[in-house]
Amino acid sequence: MLWAYLHFPHLLLDHIRRSRSGRDEPHEENSEPALVVVDQSAQRVLQACPQAQAQGVQAGMRLKTALNLVPELAIAHADPGREQQILAEQARWLYRHVASIVLYPPDGLLVEVGSLEKLYGGLAAVWQTLEQALSERHLTAWMATGTTPLAARLCARAGQGQCTADKGHMERHLHNLSLAAAGFDDRTLIRLQRLGLTRLGEVMTLAPAELARRLTPETLARVQKIQGSRPDPQQPWQPPHHFRQQADFVQDIERAEGLLFPLQRILTELEEDLCWRQQDTDSLLLVLTHRHHEPTRLRIRTSGPEHRAEAFLNLMRLRFEQHPLPAPVASLVLSVRRFLGREAAAGNDLLGETRDLNEAWHTLISRLQARLGNDALQQLSPQPDHRPERAWSASEVQRKPRPAISDLASLPRRPLWLLSGPQALPEAPVAWYSGPERISGGWWDGQRVHRDYYIAGLGSGQLAWVFRDVRGGWFVHGWFG
Amino acid sequence: MSKLLNTLIEDARVWQGHRQTRTTQPAEPTGYQALDNQLGGLGWPRGALSECLLDAPGIGELQLVLPLMQRLSHTGKTVFWLNPPHTPYAPALARDGVNLDQIVMIRTEDNGDLLWTLENCLRSPVTGLVLAWPGKLAARDIRRLQLAAEAGSNVCVLFRSRKLADQSSPAALRLELEAGEHQDLRINVLKRRGSWPGQRCTLAMGRRADLPVTESHRVVQGPWSASAP
Repeated sequence: MLWAYLHFPHLLLDHIRRSRSGRDEPHEENSEPALVVVDQSAQRVLQACPQAQAQGVQAGMRLKTALNLVPELAIAHADPGREQQILAEQARWLYRHVASIVLYPPDGLLVEVGSLEKLYGGLAAVWQTLEQALSERHLTAWMATGTTPLAARLCARAGQGQCTADKGHMERHLHNLSLAAAGFDDRTLIRLQRLGLTRLGEVMTLAPAELARRLTPETLARVQKIQGSRPDPQQPWQPPHHFRQQADFVQDIERAEGLLFPLQRILTELEEDLCWRQQDTDSLLLVLTHRHHEPTRLRIRTSGPEHRAEAFLNLMRLRFEQHPLPAPVASLVLSVRRFLGREAAAGNDLLGETRDLNEAWHTLISRLQARLGNDALQQLSPQPDHRPERAWSASEVQRKPRPAISDLASLPRRPLWLLSGPQALPEAPVAWYSGPERISGGWWDGQRVHRDYYIAGLGSGQLAWVFRDVRGGWFVHGWFG
Repeated sequence: MSKLLNTLIEDARVWQGHRQTRTTQPAEPTGYQALDNQLGGLGWPRGALSECLLDAPGIGELQLVLPLMQRLSHTGKTVFWLNPPHTPYAPALARDGVNLDQIVMIRTEDNGDLLWTLENCLRSPVTGLVLAWPGKLAARDIRRLQLAAEAGSNVCVLFRSRKLADQSSPAALRLELEAGEHQDLRINVLKRRGSWPGQRCTLAMGRRADLPVTESHRVVQGPWSASAP
């Protein structure tokens, strides 16, 4: 088996940097402040971006020193939980290229590449694919191959990885690794150094029994795992059944337009992901976190299955126009949990016109709903009830044919306009045309109705649907429009 | 005719009213032959605004657009109702053969939203008919809507107050609606693109309440004389 390991030396830094407004031109890059990632106690610099490094900041430096060098330094805090999520995001796109992935939090991914050589036509092609995917995402990764997972990991972390399938070459390389890079614990390392050993190869040539006796059995186990003479089972990662992407900002974003750039990147990822799954979605959840405010949860719905980033982005733009941000945004998370199977074009129309109209319908309704709110659009349907105010209902707009009423002529004559509530009859009608039609019901649910309905003409020429209730009052309930 | 006049006419330098060619703008028949005749045999203009000016609902104004609504809703076109003054009553619409799946009612909060919605509906190919009850509209707004209507090819009917009959409007067709004596609808064509205004016709709308067509003030006797206001 051949393994490849991807070590992300500054994953969090890359993650934050690509959420910044997408100005890649070098002359504008100066406007972005230099960025460092510090440990949780905010003492030491863990990762520094190229601008910071150009000004003398280095990883491992004290934060105070760094701040003295670059006063306008932007600071992000490392957070193991967040780093693991970011790593899982990387595994997600990597899964499109390779089958078996193992997560090594916080900053590594192990990939089994031996089985891919045939598919891609050689290790070099696999390598190239991975490098291209990494550069598309502006990620820095040190990669290395190895015959065992641990060997690949050590070579990659040492930053001297090479793309090779030649065992002898890999072995030589492994033997040349310094002991410090081999990841032994401090005590073992000191003891090995006191024995006069500096290279990993020298440790590997020692007799196993001696190694276990003089040092610890764990040290032997580690060496054997590197060599491959002891099993080192791996837990393959399974892609989750939902989509989740996060963007973190160093400086809070105050205006909604600033969110559109990172959103576009995430939505493009979503589109790729949906295309790859051959699925659609109709509901996105966008959570904006603020520093001193409750997180804003925006649910973006489309009226039909959709996968295009542009369509989602347009809806979000509309949403932001209608609802300005309540507070500056520190980070955003876009998640999708609902996936719909992609339907084949249902229309048996040769020119596909029906399909187009269907899509246009969904686009229009989604647009309207995004700006006006879901409740603003309604579809009407009759209900089986004798009481006029309950004989209809309004529901959310759906593109689903409902059962048609078979016997239209048997329905009673009703006005086209129904008032929202009965209104007192303003004047005595000048003509009476039909009636009375007694409607009595509702004794079963307490909304008792007992009325005599007439059709009457008013002096203004309006044709009204009037009724007299039990107490003898006269009301208009509808207009024959 | 004098020689001079003959020359002028042959030169076609003088525009003659009676020779006016029939306009061939796209249109949808109204479903009322009498009204179609007054509208040059065409009907509701497509890709343009129409205005109906009336005082109060209940004089048969929906009956006027009902044949079109029936036809469009069954050909898969969507009919939008924007800010109707009352609830369109679903049982009555269903009884009149309107496909309710194609009816979408929209309520907007302010005029800005209304205009935006109207524009979007008008530009969409799925829309067949838009019925809108806008509040106050500036001439500029109507012009904007007119442009949006031209971008699509659907019928848009704005229902507005009859007080606006004197004001000019960029709409292609303006009808003044009045209630007649026998539950009929008197229509006065205030403006029609490509022709003269001033045609009048009366449509019997008694059907909307199953009234007999030959109206003779049939009065139903009842118990109301004592208690009616």
